[in-house]
Amino acid sequence: MPETNLIERYQGFRTRRFLQNERRYRTWLPRWRTRSRRRILVIALGVTFVFMTAVGIVCHFDMVVGPLLWLPACLLFFPLWTMLQIVSGRQGDAPRDALDEWEIQQRNSARSIGLTVTQLLTLVPALYLIFVGALDGDHGNVPYAAGLLVVTALMVGGCTPAMILGWTQPDPDPDDLAS
Amino acid sequence: MSPVRRGDALPIYNRIGVLRAERGMSRAQLAGLIDVNPQTVGALERGDHYPSLDLAFRISWVFELPVEAIFSRTEFGPLSTELYRTDRPPSTTGNGESHA
Repeated sequence: MPETNLIERYQGFRTRRFLQNERRYRTWLPRWRTRSRRRILVIALGVTFVFMTAVGIVCHFDMVVGPLLWLPACLLFFPLWTMLQIVSGRQGDAPRDALDEWEIQQRNSARSIGLTVTQLLTLVPALYLIFVGALDGDHGNVPYAAGLLVVTALMVGGCTPAMILGWTQPDPDPDDLAS
Repeated sequence: MSPVRRGDALPIYNRIGVLRAERGMSRAQLAGLIDVNPQTVGALERGDHYPSLDLAFRISWVFELPVEAIFSRTEFGPLSTELYRTDRPPSTTGNGESHA
């Protein structure tokens, strides 16, 4: 189908770039592509998010230690997230034209859950900001802590599709690998 | 399995695996011919995914068979049984041979 408008041209660009990156990273981390290894990455990411949430709570009480703890959380998050994206083929955020119908169906299911998770988790810091901010107007830590919790909630929601796909995808079939 | 808005999901059986093996074709080869990921062929063979009409036609084109020879609402029996079935009327010659 010819690319006619800006959105379609952008989708075409995204698809070409995605396929280019997929060819580049297809052979990276071969030992981490099994389901058991992918599940280890998903669990490690989950633990990182729990740690990030704890950092947000610490920030409510202590603005010296709390922000410093965010640094190791990020140092844990970025390598784990990058590894999971590579071994799961970035299917969670792949453009539609780069996937076949089975992959689109799985991606859409995972994204639907991710959206629900984002909405629910983002409500928590929003309510915290509304109620704690209103009750304790002089508490300068509240916006910072709420900000960290919102960022964590958005990260959890954004990573959920890849985490679901990384957890549920079966092991690569030896028949597929042989050819 | 394909999404169903309402009602019970009816099964769709297929004999893709048998036809592929019969032709000595790997999953990756079939996937290349029908332009999908090899894992999608695996999902089709396991019955985890019901194909769209477009994909079903592409598969039938590869095997040069009508769609209903590859997909069915009822479970397929072994191909050999369908070819040499034993429930035919007994032969009048009594030598075990049956006439078409």
